[in-house]
Amino acid sequence: MELAMGIMLGLLGLGAGCAMIAGIGPGIGEGNAVAAACEAIGRQPECKSSVTSTLIMGCAIAETTGLYGLIVAILLIFVAPGMFTGILKDAVTSMKG
Amino acid sequence: MANLDPAVRKETGYIACWTGALSLVMEAVFLILGKWDLSVLLGNLSGAAVAVGNFFLMARTVSLAVEGGKPDEAARRVKASASIRLLAVGALCALLVGVLKTNVYATLIPLLFPRIGILFRPAIDRKRDAESSETEGSDLID
Repeated sequence: MELAMGIMLGLLGLGAGCAMIAGIGPGIGEGNAVAAACEAIGRQPECKSSVTSTLIMGCAIAETTGLYGLIVAILLIFVAPGMFTGILKDAVTSMKG
Repeated sequence: MANLDPAVRKETGYIACWTGALSLVMEAVFLILGKWDLSVLLGNLSGAAVAVGNFFLMARTVSLAVEGGKPDEAARRVKASASIRLLAVGALCALLVGVLKTNVYATLIPLLFPRIGILFRPAIDRKRDAESSETEGSDLID
């Protein structure tokens, strides 16, 4: 039972770490978008306010992907252990019974 | 704060309004389900504050990076900011859920409210544009 619990908790931690890989993409994407926006504003300075406004919204959308990964990781760390421990205990009890 | 870009102020206000409205809806859902307690309220308030604060910092960083005018430096600055903000949001949420024992769902769901606000943005802009063009048209007729 303890071994199964240890393996389960380890795998949940591994899953949470894997979910956080999603946090890499938004940073790269936002960086590229801002670099392109800088070039666009350099070409047409009169469009600065509309470009900045659109860029902020675009960056917020890109950032959501990372937040999805973060939410999954937090759920795996704080919610899933309790849930899976219950399932494991039920399985062991039914096997003994 | 005084030299804040008007776009940052406007967009943060818009996102804060949406987050507040959706937080009220979420509280109502918890009440209807009969699962409301103080940890839900605390989680909702803190999650919403984290979401709006994260959006504000992102908007401010983007605005400052654009004002700098150097694409490479701007990209580097925004990449660093995105990583640090994601870690900070993760640490704050873990602190709230793990130490302060707020409701997990009430803390995490508000993080997605800005995205819902942005989802409805084009429709609201289209409606506003249509209304302004109608007003301009009636002014021309008058």
